[in-house]
Amino acid sequence: MTPKERVKAAMDLKTTDKIPLMCQFSLGHILMQLNISPVNLWFDKVTFTDSLIKLREIYEFDGILVSLHGHNPNWKEHIVSITDIRNQKQVELASGDKIIFPNNDLPYYEYKNEVAKLNISEVDLEDLPQILDYIPVSSNLHFQINQNHKFDAITDIINSVGSKFSIHGEITSPFDYFLDLLGYQDGLMALMMEPEKCELILWHFTKLITKLSLEMCETGVDAIKISSPFAGAGFISPNDYKKFVLPFESQIALAVRQKGVHIYTHTCGAIGDRLETMFDSGISGIECLDPPPLGNVMLENAKERIGKMGFIKGNIDSVNTLLNGSDDDIVRDVQDIINIGTRDGGFILSTACSIAPAVKREKIQLLRKIVDNI
Amino acid sequence: MNEIIESIGLCIEKGKVNKASSYPIDMQGKDGADEITKSALIQNIGPDEILKTCNDAMQRIGEKFGRNEVFVPELLMAAKAMTTVMEHLKPFFQAGSIKTKGKFIIGTVAGDLHNIGKNLVSMVVEGNGWEVIDLGVDVKKEKFIKAIEENPNSFVGLSALLTTTMENMANTVKEIKAEYPSITVIVGGAPLSAESAKKMGADAYAANPQEAVLFLNEKIAS
Repeated sequence: MTPKERVKAAMDLKTTDKIPLMCQFSLGHILMQLNISPVNLWFDKVTFTDSLIKLREIYEFDGILVSLHGHNPNWKEHIVSITDIRNQKQVELASGDKIIFPNNDLPYYEYKNEVAKLNISEVDLEDLPQILDYIPVSSNLHFQINQNHKFDAITDIINSVGSKFSIHGEITSPFDYFLDLLGYQDGLMALMMEPEKCELILWHFTKLITKLSLEMCETGVDAIKISSPFAGAGFISPNDYKKFVLPFESQIALAVRQKGVHIYTHTCGAIGDRLETMFDSGISGIECLDPPPLGNVMLENAKERIGKMGFIKGNIDSVNTLLNGSDDDIVRDVQDIINIGTRDGGFILSTACSIAPAVKREKIQLLRKIVDNI
Repeated sequence: MNEIIESIGLCIEKGKVNKASSYPIDMQGKDGADEITKSALIQNIGPDEILKTCNDAMQRIGEKFGRNEVFVPELLMAAKAMTTVMEHLKPFFQAGSIKTKGKFIIGTVAGDLHNIGKNLVSMVVEGNGWEVIDLGVDVKKEKFIKAIEENPNSFVGLSALLTTTMENMANTVKEIKAEYPSITVIVGGAPLSAESAKKMGADAYAANPQEAVLFLNEKIAS
């Protein structure tokens, strides 16, 4: 099997010749490993795609998740200056806003004029965006999707290594767009105060994200990951999950599956109370399954409950095992995960969440050795 | 009198802010924390009694949150109702007729801008009768030290979501302990555990807001 075939077999719930191995990189980890400019990694498509390809090679992963797309080839035109301040780069934009780029994590904005988030009662559905031109990456941090170059990063990687390796695109859940629109706290309270209006907003984003997902399918990606970090028990109840997440992600999953492309959900933290419900959306698999203390999922239990519903991609604890653990801890933990995960196929070995920035290279390379020794 | 006091507690626990609020559905059209507190004060019910019922209600909702019986939206609504009551009680705090349990300084550590966990802890701790001094996000260690200097005998809470800021958290704990060895420091956040908290020299790790409250209350009781 090629790595691409291996990952596909796992996503098809079949057994594989070797255990597929594929973790997602945090931008901080890429920066710390490759010693590149954080400004270029964020803005420049070539730096970004080259980094993903290079790090896959270093770690001998079976695939690559392309977590950002839509890079603007003329990004430099919007930048007035780049200044080195301590261990960070400060970029001043033509708008007057500043972006601070640490050397080990996501950038963050310092707005010239802070734009207040909308209150739910102030939201006019007519004023919601008609084009999805941003990815809500983190709190107050958008990645702009250039409409003329929406998927260049993905197609470049597919053209370069896609015949051999599994290439996955990424979209963001409607629930994230919703919370990003209103602010996390006000958005969560809005679910209680004006649930019907919240649902209308969620449907609006669902329509746009479905369109984006279908376009992404056309690039030839092997799978699409739905980033849905706020859908776990750390934020909302199982009932609210059924009301404010499931119907919307279901619509997207249905559309993507009809195209013959796999789609899986990434929800961090505690999801043990909703594993089966997550599969009601029609997704092909689940990523993360954070074990305690980060989450509350024991792989053995998850495998019993959902192992036949779809594939599992996980669930190495990136912080407590990889970042803070010894080599012995890693070997012990990963072997346990492999023993449980690979029963009846449908398993991709991966970190639960993305690789924490400061995890040492040798520790990730150890994963390949463990897999190859089995 | 008991009935009105209990109603305030119920409004907080259920997140009923005022009459106009449509949440929760089963209390639509009824008076909320705002109206009932106003009425209680007019009826000369002691602010200390109102405060106690608020603290009890926030403790109950915090416990439910810790047991995953309610989630962040419900907790936020309860905190909003609590804040409404506190607005009415503000003059009594200023006059000194009611007092808080102590001061709790909180912030996310340098480099960390993620504030939802910190805000939830602030709300629940405040709701349990503490004065909260919220230093906000991306707080440098010098700012924590200055806040401690200005508020002797306070307790300190540090929050971090990112693994990359755990080092800053450890440095902040170290600095605080070097300057003020007797100050109690609680840490919390997704990448942390009791073990990592101990390793960085913190006095306690709180996995959720209620654990922070329990620790603080135990500290002042001992």
